[in-house]
Amino acid sequence: MTSLAKYIVAACAAVLISAPALAAVTPANPMPDVTEELLEQGRGIYFKRCSFCHGLLGDGEGPAAKYLDPRPRDFTLGTFKFRTTHSGELPTNEDLFRTISRGLAGTAMQSFDGDMLKNGLSEDQRWAVIAYIKTFAQEFDDPELDPVKTGKVIPLPANRAPFNAETIAKGKVVFERAKCWSCHGKLGRGDGNKEFRKDDWGFPIRIRNVTHPWKIKAGGEVADIYMRFTSGISGTPMPSFVKSLNEGDRWNLANYIKSLQHKLTGHQTLRAHPVPGALPEAPGDAAWRGAQPMDVRLAGQVVAAPRWQNPSIEMVTIRALFNETEIAFRITWDDPFKDVVHDKAQEFDTAGISKIGALSSYVEANGMIPRALETFRDAIALQFPVRPPQGTKKPHFYRGGSSDQVHLWVWKADLEATEEGNARGWKQPIKLQGEDGQQITGQAEWDQGRWSVVMKRPLRTGDKNDVQFEKGVFVPMSVNAWDGSNGEHGLIMSLSTWHYVFLEAPTPITVYVYAVLAFLIAGGLGIWLMRKAEAEGEPAAENPEEEAS
Amino acid sequence: MKKLKIGTFPATILTLLVVYALVKWGIPALSREVTSLPFPLPVPGTLMFFYMVLTVVALFLIVTFSDEGLNDFLRPVKKLLRGGYSKALRAVVLTAIPAVIGWQVYELTVPKVEVPSSLRIQHPSSNFPRSFEAKKNPAAAPTGTEVETFMAEVKANEVQFIAQVQEDIEHWLEEAEPEHVLEFFPGPAMRKLLTQLPSGELDRDTAKAALLEKTLFEGRALYAMNCRACHGDSVAGDGPMADGFKLRPIDFTDNGTIETIVEGYTFWRVTNGGPGLPAEATPWDSAMPEWKLSLTEAQRWKIILAEYDLAQKTPRIPESH
Repeated sequence: MTSLAKYIVAACAAVLISAPALAAVTPANPMPDVTEELLEQGRGIYFKRCSFCHGLLGDGEGPAAKYLDPRPRDFTLGTFKFRTTHSGELPTNEDLFRTISRGLAGTAMQSFDGDMLKNGLSEDQRWAVIAYIKTFAQEFDDPELDPVKTGKVIPLPANRAPFNAETIAKGKVVFERAKCWSCHGKLGRGDGNKEFRKDDWGFPIRIRNVTHPWKIKAGGEVADIYMRFTSGISGTPMPSFVKSLNEGDRWNLANYIKSLQHKLTGHQTLRAHPVPGALPEAPGDAAWRGAQPMDVRLAGQVVAAPRWQNPSIEMVTIRALFNETEIAFRITWDDPFKDVVHDKAQEFDTAGISKIGALSSYVEANGMIPRALETFRDAIALQFPVRPPQGTKKPHFYRGGSSDQVHLWVWKADLEATEEGNARGWKQPIKLQGEDGQQITGQAEWDQGRWSVVMKRPLRTGDKNDVQFEKGVFVPMSVNAWDGSNGEHGLIMSLSTWHYVFLEAPTPITVYVYAVLAFLIAGGLGIWLMRKAEAEGEPAAENPEEEAS
Repeated sequence: MKKLKIGTFPATILTLLVVYALVKWGIPALSREVTSLPFPLPVPGTLMFFYMVLTVVALFLIVTFSDEGLNDFLRPVKKLLRGGYSKALRAVVLTAIPAVIGWQVYELTVPKVEVPSSLRIQHPSSNFPRSFEAKKNPAAAPTGTEVETFMAEVKANEVQFIAQVQEDIEHWLEEAEPEHVLEFFPGPAMRKLLTQLPSGELDRDTAKAALLEKTLFEGRALYAMNCRACHGDSVAGDGPMADGFKLRPIDFTDNGTIETIVEGYTFWRVTNGGPGLPAEATPWDSAMPEWKLSLTEAQRWKIILAEYDLAQKTPRIPESH
C-alpha cells in the first residue's frame, strides 16, 4: 500500500512539474559533445530527411522549397524564429530539439519525434542532426554568442497565474494597452494591418490569426505563447515585449490569447434548424443564433494540377435554417483582407504545370501567381450532388465526374452575388446555369477579418440540374474556398471532402404517445403495489437492523 | 469493531453497481495495463449485457434461495411502498421510476439521425488488372546497360540527375567545389565507388548499389515534392494537408498498408488514384490523385521505391503463376 501511495504521489508530482513546461518535448540528456562521428551521423540523417526542403547546403533551397509558404529555414544565416532566448540571440540546443521534435504546426515542418512516430528520429539521432545543422551557421562557433554561456536564456516566470476568467480579463487589458490589435486585429484574427507585411527575407508573411490553434507554429499552450512575445520572432515584425511588459502582464496576456483559441465542432452532419416564417437574408440576423454550427476543415487543392499546398482558408463554419418552402445557409470564415476585385488578365495559365512529367504540378508559393491585394476576388462555394445519393454512393468530392454531376453555389465577392452552376469533374470549368436557373438570394458582409455569406434558395426547384432538399434526407455537401489576396482563383483553392446537411423531420406523434403510455403503465403499477403493501400492513416483527441503527 | 451490516436489498443493488463499474471501467483500465497501448480496449455492448444478465440471475438465485432471504430483500421495498421512510420519498420514487421508463421508451422509438455509413474496403481487387500483379519495380533492379551507363557517367564526372534536384546540386557544386559531383552522397556504396575512381576500375556490384542510392535520393525528392503534403515527412499519413480530408491519407508505417500488397498494386493505386477505385472502396471520398496525369512511369516507380524505404517496409512477394 505504501509503495502504491508513493507511486501515486510521484506520478502526480511528475504531472505537476511537466504540465507548465513549454508543452514539453525536452530531451532526457543534454546534447552530447560534437565529434566527427556525431556529425557524420547527422549528415546522413540530414541528407535523407531534411535536405529536400532545407537544401544540401542548408540554405532552405531544397527541391520542395519553392512550393512552400512559409519557406524552409535558411540555416546559414543563424536566424531562428522560435527560441527561449532574448531577442536577436541564437537558439539553445534545447530550442532546436523542441522544434525538430514537435515540428511547427501549420507548416511543412513536421514532428520528427521518434517517441511518437514509428518513423521518427530517436533522441540520439535528433542530437546528431542538430549538431550537423549548427555547422551551417558560423555564429554557432562563437562562444560569445552562446546564449547559455552569456545568460541570455529566458526562464518561465516563477509565479505563473492560473488560466481563469480573472487572468484572462487582465490579459485582455494588456492586449489593448500593448496594442497587439494593431497587427493581430481587435478579435485576434490577424486583420489589424491594411497591407501585407514582409519578413527579413523579403517574402510576404501573414500576421497570425491567433484564434486558429492548428496554425500556431511553435505551440499553442500558455507557456509557448508567453515565450513568443517574450523572445520575439526573429526575422519578422513580431517584436519582443520583454522591455515594455512585465512578467505577470505577459503571462496574463498569454492566458488571454489562449482563451481566444477556437474549439472545433466534431460532427460531420449539419442539422438544418426549422423555423416558422421567413428565413433571414442578412448574415447578422438574430435568427442564426438558433442554428447549429458545423466547422468544416479544408485542405489545399492537391488532387490535380494546378496543385496548391498553401491555402489560406482552412476552416469554414456553416449554419442552416429552413421553413416549409426555403432553405438558407450562412457560411463564415476568417480572411484578414477583403478582396472584391477580380483581374481576369492575371489568372494563372495552368498549361505549363499540367503536363505529364512537368518539373512540378504544384503552384510555386511565390512568383507564379500574384499574391497581392486588388488582384483576385474572395469567393466561397457550396457543392451538392445533383442526383440524390443511392446508399453512400456520391460523386467525387472534387467536382464530381462525367456521369455524376454536382451542383455548385458560388458566391463571388466582386459580384456580391451567388451564381449557380454545374460541374462534371474538375477538367472542365463550372458551367453556369441560365438566367432562370439563378435562384439564390442573400447578403454578405466582411467585418473584422471575417466573411459571412448567406445563400437562400427554395427547397425544391423544377430544375433537373439542381439539388433538391427534403426533410429527413441526408444531402452530401462540401466546400470550395478562395482567398483572392492569397493568389487563389480557379482550381488554386482550398476544398473539403463530403459532409452532410440534414433537415430535421418532425418527430412522429406516436413516439410521444408510447412514452406517455409507458409512464402511465409503470406509474399505475407502482400505485397498485403501494396499495397492496399498505393493505398488508406492518408485519409484527419489524426488521432488527433498522431498530439497531 | 462492530460488524457493518447492510440489508439484502442495498447489498444486491450495490453488487449490480460494482459489477457494472468493473465491466464498464475496470476492463478497459486493465486492458491498458496489459497491452500498454495508449487507448483502452472497448467492451462491446453485447458483452456488457451478458455479464449483467449473469449477475442478475446469480443475485436472483441467492435472494430467492430461502423465504427468509426473499423477505429480507423485500422488506425495505415494502417499507418504502408503505411510506415507512417518508411519504415524500415514496412520491419521488414512484414518479421517478415511471419517468425513467417513459424516457427510455422515448429514446428507443424516436427516429435517430445517423450518418449513412458504409464499410470501406482498403485494398479492393475487383478491378485490379491481373497484369499488374507480377509487375516489378524497374527502379529497384537496374539493368546491365543502366549500370554501365551510370559507371561511364561516374568516370566522366557527368552524372545525370532528374531535373527536380538539379538546381540544388548546382548550388552545392558552386559552394563546395568538390572533385566529384557524387561527393554529397553520404551513402556507403557511393563512398566506396568514389574511392575506386582513381584506379579507373569500378566494381560493378558497388556501382549497382551506388546507382540504387542515387535512385532513392531522386525518389525521396519526388516524394517530398509530390506526396509529402498529405502523407507527411515521416510517411505516416500526417502531412500538412491531412486534417482537411475526412478519409485520412494512408499511414505507410502501419503494418496493414503497403507491406501487405505487391509492388504492382502500389503502382496501380498511385497511377489511378481515388477515381480508379471500385465502388466498395468509396472512390468519391478519396483525395488520392490520378498520378498518371502528372508523373511519368519512371517517376512513379522511383517514388514507390523511396516510399517503401522511408517506411522501412518491403512489398509482398507476388504469388507465382
